[in-house]
Amino acid sequence: MLLALQQATEPPFFSITAPDDVLGAWLICFFTLAVFSFLYKDNPFYKVAEHVFVGVGTAFYTLQYYEEGVIGRLYEHMEQAGRALGEGGSGVMDLGGTPVPAAWAIGLRSVAVLLSLMLLVRLFRSGSWAPRWAVATMVGIYAAIKMTGETQSKLVLQVEGLMRKPLVNPELASWGSDWAAVEQTQVFYTFANLVLLVGVLCALLHFVFTFRRGKVLAGASRVGVVVLMLTFGAMFGFTVLGRYALLIDRIDTLGDYTGGAYSLAPPPAAGSAGALQLMLSPPVLLAVLIALVLAVAAASRKRSA
Amino acid sequence: MATATDFDRRWIFLAIGVLVLGLYAFGSGAPMPVSPYVQSYFDTIDALPEGSVVLLAADFDPGSAAELLPTYQATIHHLLLRKLRIVNVATWPAGPPFTRSSFAEIAPQYGAVYGSDWIELGFKAGDDVAMGQIGQSLLSSFAQDDRDKADVTSFPIMQGISDSFQGIALLITMSAGYPGVLEWIAQAGGRYDVPILAATTAVQTPDLFAYYPSQLQGFAGAATGATQYLQLVVAAGVPALEGTTTDNQERMLIQTYAHLLIIGLIVTGNVLYFLGRRGA
Repeated sequence: MLLALQQATEPPFFSITAPDDVLGAWLICFFTLAVFSFLYKDNPFYKVAEHVFVGVGTAFYTLQYYEEGVIGRLYEHMEQAGRALGEGGSGVMDLGGTPVPAAWAIGLRSVAVLLSLMLLVRLFRSGSWAPRWAVATMVGIYAAIKMTGETQSKLVLQVEGLMRKPLVNPELASWGSDWAAVEQTQVFYTFANLVLLVGVLCALLHFVFTFRRGKVLAGASRVGVVVLMLTFGAMFGFTVLGRYALLIDRIDTLGDYTGGAYSLAPPPAAGSAGALQLMLSPPVLLAVLIALVLAVAAASRKRSA
Repeated sequence: MATATDFDRRWIFLAIGVLVLGLYAFGSGAPMPVSPYVQSYFDTIDALPEGSVVLLAADFDPGSAAELLPTYQATIHHLLLRKLRIVNVATWPAGPPFTRSSFAEIAPQYGAVYGSDWIELGFKAGDDVAMGQIGQSLLSSFAQDDRDKADVTSFPIMQGISDSFQGIALLITMSAGYPGVLEWIAQAGGRYDVPILAATTAVQTPDLFAYYPSQLQGFAGAATGATQYLQLVVAAGVPALEGTTTDNQERMLIQTYAHLLIIGLIVTGNVLYFLGRRGA
């Protein structure tokens, strides 16, 4: 069977473009409802879903990183470098956009492999010096890469943007009659930029601890706290927005599987409502079963207590 | 005396569940006003000359597909409608399957040809480092394409592309978190001066206002931005997305009432808290 799967160019049930199969529908509904059951309390259904999710996720991610990191960047790279060397030793390889002799390409990639292996020494000897070299190399390179880009985008350009922000935009009309387009008016533009300027300065002043807090600094700090709280409030609001989007999507998915194609009941006769088909569809039947099992378990626990 | 903290929070879960299910079953949606950020996202794509190459990064996974997949597919429709060419990459391992399935469905509608109109380069591990490397040299970052496992230089779409984003007119990321739009801005926008657009999850959206419009030319934030962008794309001439747009508009109605419930709960919780403190 495995051989047959391997030989198939694109097995339909491995392809994300394949139509939903009945078994898949039942599994999707079961795992979705099992995760939702955690809202009642921690229970075996949730545990099963949690373990399967972690297992499948780990397998998928491991395979992706193996293909990209080991097969792509090591095996294929070495094979290519070996071919270049075989051409007479003068072959040139592209390494991160820089042309290097094939022998150098092999050597540099071997150093990376050695550092990776040194990282694994921690599994056998916890206090060994070897993993520290690999970690130090990674931290050093990562810090260097992050420092330039992050400083530019999150500090220099942000400060520059604030300093260059004009309080007047001559292209905008001073005031409009349409409330929906109030953002495009001069009054709103000036007000928004003033709020931005004062807000940023006050929020920064809140973190000034070098001087004794007189009336001015304390007042500005107070405004800064309000600005920060408004920011956190906006972030919370957006987070709720995102979580609702996920909930609605799950309900939408469950709704997709209430159709007759996935139900255990036969198609209803012409003119009948098809209530039995709905009751025996994956989301409804599984929800009832999970709720029933949890209720029986709770009742038996209460009786034995 | 019972206080707000004694309240069983499962009643809140039940209330939210009933509200969302009820609105899902009986609610209907309405068109939304389009924000300047989303309008700019749309206009930036629309203004590109025909045949330009766009780097489209699928930096998301199934956990954020509810928010990002509609915008991702609408963006592909928009790009192909405008006859722009798409180079697909991903810095999230679960991104490429969405690319594969989306193009399998959408590309035939526009007669797009693989290798000429779009290419799938697949997943690149390394987060920020990978983004920096893609910027430095796209061709050496992906030796082979993800679909046919062929040399990337053999595809016509890659012919005009060279180091430092030369040949790439625009970078669009579907950003679900880290690594995502903020890392693209730091590693690509600042260094190579390539214009960037982003569709983001709700959690990430508040961070982006500070980058617009100097470092980020436009963004479709959360399900709200997705709905607005879908409206614009449908109006531009993509009837295939009408169903998705209506679905998203209905979802926004559910969001509105669910938010009102949360606001009501916050107010009630605070009132009960202060009443309890006064009574103590």
